[in-house]
Amino acid sequence: MAGHKKTDPMTDEANAQLDQLGRALLLHASASNEAEAEAVAASPFAYTRLRARITAEHERRAGGETWLTLLGVVWRSVPAMGLVAVFAFILFWTSSFGTTSPGVLSDEALMDARDAGIENVVFADRRTLSSDDVLATILQGDERENSR
Amino acid sequence: MADNSDSRALESPPHSNVEPSDVELVSRAVADDETAFEELFNRHRRRVSLIASRFFRQREQIEEVVQESFMKAYLALPDFSNSQENSFASWIARIAFNACYDELRRMKRRPESATSNVSEEESAWLKAQLRSQGAGDDVEAAAVARDLADKLLARLSPEDRLLLVMLDVEGLSVAEIGEMNKWSISKVKVRAHRARASLRRVLERFL
Repeated sequence: MAGHKKTDPMTDEANAQLDQLGRALLLHASASNEAEAEAVAASPFAYTRLRARITAEHERRAGGETWLTLLGVVWRSVPAMGLVAVFAFILFWTSSFGTTSPGVLSDEALMDARDAGIENVVFADRRTLSSDDVLATILQGDERENSR
Repeated sequence: MADNSDSRALESPPHSNVEPSDVELVSRAVADDETAFEELFNRHRRRVSLIASRFFRQREQIEEVVQESFMKAYLALPDFSNSQENSFASWIARIAFNACYDELRRMKRRPESATSNVSEEESAWLKAQLRSQGAGDDVEAAAVARDLADKLLARLSPEDRLLLVMLDVEGLSVAEIGEMNKWSISKVKVRAHRARASLRRVLERFL
């Protein structure tokens, strides 16, 4: 143990004594518990307790596996869900861009529409028309007819 | 290390009711035979209890190690290489030592398991034992030695204590310890040297 180093013989002797004492203490500490060990080994329901423990451990692992499986499914679905979200956004963006222009949807554009029926519907959606509004609309219509 | 039950089975006359070997029992247990694992448990639990008693004094702790060891063995049984006659005995012993090591580490972490001081009387006894080369044989001396040993060994790290018990109490060879812990022989020797040095330091503090 000391290797090739030069050691003091007194130190070696002291170490040997301490090693011997340590070994004796280890043996005392270990040997004195054999009666307890025998009692545990002779315990009558040890196997029943072991079975219960194994069953509990199986259940615990099964519960853990369920969570892990769920986590795995969620984890795997993240890219797919992201892809679907991107696709939906692109679809929404292109459809709104292709069919209508911002001007068509504005109130001012609707006001300028030639079909008075459309105006009425749009106004009906927005607010209740007052009698003045109705009168003004009729007069406006008449003026247009006259101008033609 | 090896259990005597196998050698007893081999010595029995051929016409008698020969007990199944560990290899056979393990094969049956892997195939969900409950009685086979119970037989393995009954065959090896004394050995596991003795290993646990090398480290722990309380019955509950010894029981805990026994239960933990066999539970781990049961769950790992499908992965066990069931090739040699005595391998299950060695395997369960290794699992038991690991369970003891885990329990020692848990104890070390608990604040209530702080090491108690060695009294002056115990220190004087230790010095007397050093002069007389070893602990005495009478009952009183044995009781003092046991208490003192527990106090002193609690100051060692779990690794050092495990190795010293394997070497000095279980009488395992360096090769066996290496095989059990998957260490090289030189690593076992270095660790054993350090463990002895640690124990010497602990003893010197109280001499």
